[in-house]
This record gives sequence, structure tokens and C-alpha cells, in this order.
Amino acid sequence: MTPNEMETKPKQKVERREESTRPGVYFLPPVDIFETKDELVLLADMPGVPSDGLDVNLEGDELTVSASVRPEDYEGLKPLHVEYGVGGYYRRFKLGEAVDRERIQAQLKNGSLLLRLPKCERARVRRITVQAA
Amino acid sequence: MALVYRDPFEQLQRELDRMIGAAFGDVRGVTTGVYPPVNVFDGGDAYVVKAELPGVDASQIELEVQEDTLTLRGERVFSEPRSDAAFHRRERKEGQFRRVLHLPGQVAGSDIKADLRDGVLTVRLPKAEEARPRKVAIQAG
Repeated sequence: MTPNEMETKPKQKVERREESTRPGVYFLPPVDIFETKDELVLLADMPGVPSDGLDVNLEGDELTVSASVRPEDYEGLKPLHVEYGVGGYYRRFKLGEAVDRERIQAQLKNGSLLLRLPKCERARVRRITVQAA
Repeated sequence: MALVYRDPFEQLQRELDRMIGAAFGDVRGVTTGVYPPVNVFDGGDAYVVKAELPGVDASQIELEVQEDTLTLRGERVFSEPRSDAAFHRRERKEGQFRRVLHLPGQVAGSDIKADLRDGVLTVRLPKAEEARPRKVAIQAG
């Protein structure tokens, strides 16, 4: 194996915290989260999720990403050899920075989500002149 | 009358779990360690191989079929982030992969189809004539 060769980590099943009206299996998507001076960026691997199957929700400082896949892709197929489970994805994050929710951008391409969360502009420091009495 | 919601995945998941459990003894232990993970299905007149390849472009995947062996190779490269970024979490991996799969039976040499949709590669390999299911007529005695 060359040093650059990839390995597979097993998908982790996850319990959804709130009661869900749609039962089913959910997995924890692997993510990268990084921060620049202007934004937080989240990348999540969610293979099988079409663009209309994605749900991103920001409530206060809690970000929830959930997604579902298409069961019809498996119609008429009988498993012979299995290495990964098939189901939706679910993960929650607490954001440490205030985010400008109006400018959040989500892009799903090839089963990878790119979420851009621009930081709020900091309140300008106001200079107050103290007048001598 | 009671309304029962049926999970469309229930049966598939049960079957997947059963097979994963049989092969590895534990649902969470499902992997061979080799990238990408694959599931192989019997689709009646064809074998169907699915591989999870999120974030990989079709142009970065090479497929080769030789007799009953399917070889999958390629590279996963990230364009993000820029160099001035500070990481909070880093769980996704990039790099090269190569996977050789032995199919459960003989495949026909022609009409193999592959498509990449939403990060899942699906390869449909028609079975060779001798591997196809056959209907046998029963004669009345």
C-alpha cells in the first residue's frame, strides 16, 4: 500500500435526537470544518443524496444537517456482498461563531455537501469622546 | 384501522444488516478497509456493483473489466480549503484508490454500463448466458 492510498472507515449509525416522523437508518457523515477570517466552511460526505433530499437547518447556534437517499435505486436488487449500509444522514453541530443566516450557501455535488457560513460583521467599535466638564 | 408507516428501507436494511452481520459478526465492523466500499447485488439478468465515491468526478475514475474481474481505480482530490484556513475537524480523506473485485459469476463481455450519480458509482454487468436464471417448464405426468 502506498502512503497516499485510501482506507475505508465503517459508516457509523446514529440515533436522531428528536422524535422523527420518518423512521429509518441514519448514518453520521464524515465532515471537514474549517474557518477563515470571513467564514466557516463545512464539507460533508453523503453519497447517494440527491439535491432535493438535503435539509440544512440553523436554529440559534445549532446547525443540523439531515439527508435522505432514494430507495428506488435498490428496487429489484438482491444483496450478494455487503460492505456498507444504505440510509439517510444526520449530524448536529454547535457553532462557535455568529453566522449571517441570510448569506448561507449550500451546494451538493457528487454526494459531497459544501456549506458556506459567512460570519456576521462585527459591530463597529464606536469612539466616544469624553468631554471635560 | 391502524395506519402503519412502512420504512421503504426496512427490508433492504434488514437484509444488508443480516449479511453484514454474517460476514463480520457485528454491524459496525463492516469494512474490508479497502477504498471504496462496495456492495454487490444480483439484479436478475445482471450483477450490479455499487461503490460509494463522494466528491469524486467521473473523469477521475477508471473502470476495467476482464473476464469476471472488475478493477476500479482513481483519485479523490479536494479543492478546498485555501491555505489560510484553520481546521476544526478533518475526517474526510483524499488520495488514490484501487480496488479489484471478483464477480460472483461469469459476465457477458458487452453492454456493461456504468454511471455516477450523487457520489454513488453503479456498474451493471449483464451475466453470461450460462449464469442467467432459467425458467424450467414442468411437464405434467
